[in-house]
Amino acid sequence: MDHLSNNIDTKQLIACLQCDALYDKPELKQGQSVKCLRCGSTMAERKVDSIERSFNWSLAGIFLLIPAILLPIMGVTLAGQYHHASLLDCIIVLIERGYYMIAVLVFLFAIAVPVVRLLGSFYITYSFKFNKLKPSLLHFFRAFHHLDNWAMLNVFMLGIVVSMYKLIDDTELSVNMGLLAFILWLISSTMASVALDPDYIWQKLEDEFVD
Amino acid sequence: MSLSINTAKNSNLALCPKCHKLNLLSDESAHEKIQCIRCHGFFNQRKSHSLQYTLAWNIAALIAFIPANLYPIMIIYSLGIGDPSTILSGIGQFVDQGLYPIAVIIFTASIIVPLLKIIGLFVLVYRAYTGIRLRPDKHSKFYHALEFLGPWSMLDVFVVALLVAVVELGFVTSVAAGPAINYFTLTVIFTMIAANSFDPRLLWDKKQNIE
Repeated sequence: MDHLSNNIDTKQLIACLQCDALYDKPELKQGQSVKCLRCGSTMAERKVDSIERSFNWSLAGIFLLIPAILLPIMGVTLAGQYHHASLLDCIIVLIERGYYMIAVLVFLFAIAVPVVRLLGSFYITYSFKFNKLKPSLLHFFRAFHHLDNWAMLNVFMLGIVVSMYKLIDDTELSVNMGLLAFILWLISSTMASVALDPDYIWQKLEDEFVD
Repeated sequence: MSLSINTAKNSNLALCPKCHKLNLLSDESAHEKIQCIRCHGFFNQRKSHSLQYTLAWNIAALIAFIPANLYPIMIIYSLGIGDPSTILSGIGQFVDQGLYPIAVIIFTASIIVPLLKIIGLFVLVYRAYTGIRLRPDKHSKFYHALEFLGPWSMLDVFVVALLVAVVELGFVTSVAAGPAINYFTLTVIFTMIAANSFDPRLLWDKKQNIE
């Protein structure tokens, strides 16, 4: 704790989020990233065409959202009877059987959080693409980061694969259009969040609205 | 580790966990909540009471993990007769059928990952608290692996939710969820919160203090 700290310009510095090491801020070109010398984690990254790519992927994701949730994913036939279920059916059945906690959590992790994240990244990239920046985006983007760890579409996809293996031996399994829609939805929402460049967005918002 | 690397904390700076902006601290604000100058969110220089919170959530996860393994997670009814299976006996069925890859995936997601996370976080808290044989570079990598693996434990929950919804053929065959699913979900959520509460920068701070 020295008294030089009063002269520090925080705009010229960067700190590692994982180990707190402090460095002079490098100028990054598109496609470059910096790694921390001490712990090796990526500190900052400047992604290529992040706004454009994230906008397109999240737009695709929004179109796929409805079919992925509502169309039946798979069905079974046994002794002449047929039954199929969509993502939404899973939640409705869990509610009907009284498993409220599981129903709420599956709804949150497999539907609500991914949908909100998709709409959020669409809104942010839309605002940047068409230059409609508002100060409220600062709060919006901060809230957006709360959801970072809680989207589990990829885990649900593995769940679909595992339950198919469970069913394929004893029943006649049929695959429906919902599975295709779900896979495409998974791909586009993953790509939308991978392409999103938070460092760039924060920097731009700061230049625009802070001091 | 070289001591030449300066940290944000030693320079009287704090990194916002949401927008990654460095904030300059005044002398009296070092132990209070800081409001980020960029995103206006409140945060602490280190996650507050990180080790205590991690320990508490971790113990809760361990407790919930016991009933999760003792009660049946799923009950398969065929022609009116119920066949309950726990997580382990479900894995046993896959082994009996010769579906080894699926058995390995479920065993990893439902048993190894939660246990590894609980034990690993206990070890990390212990190391960060006492500083005994602390290797921040190794331990922080281990922490990131744990953080990444967390959501994949939800696999079994999603599989049960899907099976309950899809296999609904009245008297012929149907699937019901067992009480273990609630406890298992709680285990997963608690370990995720525990991992979120842990601050890997404490490992580096401790190491620096010892040296």
